[in-house]
Amino acid sequence: MLLEINDLTLLYGRIQALHGISLTVNEGEVVALIGANGAGKTTTMRAISGLRPVASGSIVFDGTDVTRMRADLRVVRGIGQAPEGRGVFPGMSVVENLEMGAYTRRDKGGIADDLKMVMDLFPRLAERRKQAGGTLSGGEQQMLAVGRALMARPRLLLLDEPSMGLAPKLIQQIFEIITRINEQGTTILLVEQNAQQALSRAHRGYVLETGRIVKEGTGRDLLHDPAVKEAYLGVA
Amino acid sequence: MNFDELFGNFPTLTITGLEQGAIYALVALGYTLVYGVLRLINFAHSEVFMVGTFATLWTWQFLGYDQNSAAPAFGPLLVAIIAGLLVAAAASALTAVTVELVAYRPLRRRNAPPLAFLITAIGASFVLAESFGIGTERAPFGMPTLIPQETLFTVFGAGVTNLQMLILGITLVMMVGLDQFVNRSRLGRGIRAVAQDADTAALMGVNKNRVILLVFVLGGIMAGVGALLWDVRYGFTKFNIGFLLGLKAFAAAVLGGIGNLRGALLGGLLLGLAENYAAGLFGGEWKDFTGFVLLIVLLMFRPTGLLGESLGRARA
Repeated sequence: MLLEINDLTLLYGRIQALHGISLTVNEGEVVALIGANGAGKTTTMRAISGLRPVASGSIVFDGTDVTRMRADLRVVRGIGQAPEGRGVFPGMSVVENLEMGAYTRRDKGGIADDLKMVMDLFPRLAERRKQAGGTLSGGEQQMLAVGRALMARPRLLLLDEPSMGLAPKLIQQIFEIITRINEQGTTILLVEQNAQQALSRAHRGYVLETGRIVKEGTGRDLLHDPAVKEAYLGVA
Repeated sequence: MNFDELFGNFPTLTITGLEQGAIYALVALGYTLVYGVLRLINFAHSEVFMVGTFATLWTWQFLGYDQNSAAPAFGPLLVAIIAGLLVAAAASALTAVTVELVAYRPLRRRNAPPLAFLITAIGASFVLAESFGIGTERAPFGMPTLIPQETLFTVFGAGVTNLQMLILGITLVMMVGLDQFVNRSRLGRGIRAVAQDADTAALMGVNKNRVILLVFVLGGIMAGVGALLWDVRYGFTKFNIGFLLGLKAFAAAVLGGIGNLRGALLGGLLLGLAENYAAGLFGGEWKDFTGFVLLIVLLMFRPTGLLGESLGRARA
């Protein structure tokens, strides 16, 4: 097991955002976390990456308890994240943004190789390499955020709403890239409102409702689950 | 209004303005760096500068110079200047780091509101100034005259002195060095990342507290160098020397666009020029008045300062 979350609770001030969440991600998997707005998906991601302190429970990554570890040290351990809202550095060029992804790495040759790999994956970024991140379109920023997360060579890649605000054609493209990244050996935990795409690409999935996990199963099972269909796939 | 004085002495007023502005700019960098990363006005920075002026004085006293010493030859002079720069930069950086560790970091850990930081900043400033006030019995201290003023050449009838060249030269070197560091080095990129988006920077593996410490060190080094230049130029220091200079440097940082490194340079130089032109036009007593009127008027039209905010939004 690469990631194991046990009975995690988290508070925003006095409001409890997560009520004891447990989930696992195995090496090599794509796991989808779906749910409505405010269900706690992003909060769960921020807890895993260390941006939000948890109230109780544990997060174990690759056998090490990282529950109280600083966010930047979790990156060194191999947890990479493309945050919700993309978090592109507006004043840095595309290349500088990508190089920020490799901030913890010292292997210059490997970084250069990965830069080329990301540019091949997203040719749009190659065209705009010198452009400031803040001037990119939403779709380009999304690609930049995903590419930047890859630059850390994470063992576990957390993707928070990678399809948000994208045109249908781009959504298709970004999910294809996610599948390809996974096939190249990166484990992925994916948070999505686009449940259809997420579940059809994921090995397994979890359904989150108001801070609790209400359902789990393989991607295919959830995709065909009547309750999931009704609530998240827009099919009555 | 004395237009004869303004126009007759325009070249001299310009050079003096740039010289004073350079010192403002060096100190302004500390405000701007810390603001860029923490959105905090570090009012204790004026004392970071003050400590540098004393560190320089004590270094020179340690090397055997006092106010009656004859000016040294070139070799020993070089040693005295370099030693002074190193000690002043180190002392100022150490002061800045101490303020961060003692006054600000504990508040951050407790998620204190911005107002708490503001009060703490003012408190730290007073504590430092007063402890030097008590320790030095509030006396002014004269500097040894290491470099007798000497006119090197004239431009449009204005003599340019060796001190002015030294001040402008050192300021330029420090500015270019800092700019390169922030824009080209890995750590500099970390600073810009935290300034632009602290949470995302953490997701890239940037240690925020280390970046913050680095920013205080850099600001301290710049203030320490500014402090030595002040000592060379004005020949004295006092426990409260940082107060007015700190306010002016802060004004310069805001003028240029706080959080913006090149803005600090521009703001410092403009403030120095404006003050000296005003002194020529209205008389020397209007100097401080003018600087702040300029600031208020400019902010009405450009609330984010001349070059706008942020350490990274427009490439440093």
